[in-house]
Amino acid sequence: MADRSQQLALAEGLARQGHVQPAVEACYQALRIDEGETLTHCLLADLMLSGDFYDEAITSASRAIEIDPTCSPAYLALGLAYDRRGGGWDQSILVWHELAEVEPELVTAHVQLGEAFSSAAFDEEAIDAWRRALELDPTEARAMYNLAVAALKREGMSTALPGFRKAGELDPSQDDLFFVLAGVEDDGNPAPSPTDVAEDRSSRLEAAGALAYEEDFFAAADLIRLVLDEDAEDAEALGLAAYLYLKQEAVNEAMACSMRALSISTRTPTAVYSLGVSFAKRSGLSKSAARVFAALAKAVPKHPMPHVLYAESLLGLQRYSQAAAAYKLALELDSACVRARFGLAAVLLTEGRHAEATWEIRRAAYHDTRRQGLFWELYDSYAEGRS
Amino acid sequence: MAEDTAAKLYQAFVSEDPSSAISVIEKVKASGVAQADLFDQLFAPAMSMLGGAWASGAIDEYAFTQAAVVAEQIASFVTPPSTAQDTGVTVLVGAMHKDYHAISKNVIGAALKEAGHRVIDLGVDVRPAEFLERLEETGSRIVIVTAEPVGAAHAAVRVREALAAAGHENVVILVAGGPFAADSALAKEVGANGVIHGAESALRLVDRVAQDILEEGSE
Repeated sequence: MADRSQQLALAEGLARQGHVQPAVEACYQALRIDEGETLTHCLLADLMLSGDFYDEAITSASRAIEIDPTCSPAYLALGLAYDRRGGGWDQSILVWHELAEVEPELVTAHVQLGEAFSSAAFDEEAIDAWRRALELDPTEARAMYNLAVAALKREGMSTALPGFRKAGELDPSQDDLFFVLAGVEDDGNPAPSPTDVAEDRSSRLEAAGALAYEEDFFAAADLIRLVLDEDAEDAEALGLAAYLYLKQEAVNEAMACSMRALSISTRTPTAVYSLGVSFAKRSGLSKSAARVFAALAKAVPKHPMPHVLYAESLLGLQRYSQAAAAYKLALELDSACVRARFGLAAVLLTEGRHAEATWEIRRAAYHDTRRQGLFWELYDSYAEGRS
Repeated sequence: MAEDTAAKLYQAFVSEDPSSAISVIEKVKASGVAQADLFDQLFAPAMSMLGGAWASGAIDEYAFTQAAVVAEQIASFVTPPSTAQDTGVTVLVGAMHKDYHAISKNVIGAALKEAGHRVIDLGVDVRPAEFLERLEETGSRIVIVTAEPVGAAHAAVRVREALAAAGHENVVILVAGGPFAADSALAKEVGANGVIHGAESALRLVDRVAQDILEEGSE
């Protein structure tokens, strides 16, 4: 921070707080003091991008790169600006390629590079880039979504669907739905140690949910066992047990627990969720999955994920127009829902609407990259490396 | 479905006895329950019993897991078939000569195949003579021609001409692609019987055509 001007520091502070307009003004002030400051150009590019001023973002990011060709956050802003503006796939490929060179371990750079290749119809190169991303991070959901779309283009929906489901499992938003249904919120505190949990049902269930959130499935299962030992007909405990089994790939156990929970009380949303996910994992049960997810979407209409899950089960039934409607509903609830955008893109491809599909993928990519807060990560690391 | 049948299936699960489980399923099937209903009427209640037994501690974790393995082994006997039954309808699919766009053709072909139709994929850049040749080889009466460039879409008329010249006037030609979607008159101009607007539309149209052909045959 020592070598940064006061104006730049002010601009940074404002930008981090989301005050775009004053941050832009502070950037211009900083540039009047020092036009050659890479960070200011780079920050201005990101601010312009967030305001949808793509040409201005391109100008600022390009200037930052001109001053310092190793400025990775500028490549990110430039690539995103080209992608959002559209129509410059050759430049987009070059920029993402450069970013992947400057930051070879940056997974998103490879994913974006693949998307740029795909938009320019270099399908083989695109697949290579997404595979590289998955080599770097096997849990990279977006690379998996893209590979599923590539499979759809070559071999149709039945080949692509398992890829969409796999990507969905990697995508943390599906687990988020479960925890919303279970009433588990991230309050920033660590889950309690099982030995410290009070010996009543409510404390045990709450702690089991928190432990499951932290992926300590065995400790969560121990607490669930204690709840069930007191009351074997506790539907909520069974719903949580089903989720714990699902997370350990034990689909039949999950199905058994969720079915039991629902035979006790049909109003157990966690069990409905686990049952639907169990069905979705079995080929031939798309109809059952659709029925379950339709019920879940009805029970939780304001959350986008049940609509997405419903849509995916409809894809398995070849009911593409209904799936599109469900995806659109999910996007009305959350326009940044990456999974819904990829799903909608898949449906559009089945309808021969290729340009619209590409547009949806581009939007999904933009939201996903922005959601990761990658700009600030690269910005801080670049600034640190420079000082 | 009587609860005792589900209980027998559950018992077979916990006894780790897949052959008993299969014989329960076979008996239920023999009693007239359709394959599509076995999952809901037999498997689901048995699984619910299994979950209940685990929850109450009647079976321990190990037994639960072993029972789940047996359930896995016999799942294919109770699950509705994931692939549709063969409809016996053969459909030729190909992208028109000088058109190298494969996506629509691939997606439509795969959807029809998944629905049980016999799809012969001729690939891209298919000449009218190739459509004719494969039609005569396979006895198909439905041809889907995809075309993305305008020129290729107009050239689809040559497929109709080639088929008519060889005496296949009754073959149904369906077309797909941007130019046909943009200009509704174009399909008629090239002698097509219908326009496909994507996979779902292909399923609907082919089903209707297949039905017409069947009815025609029975008259």
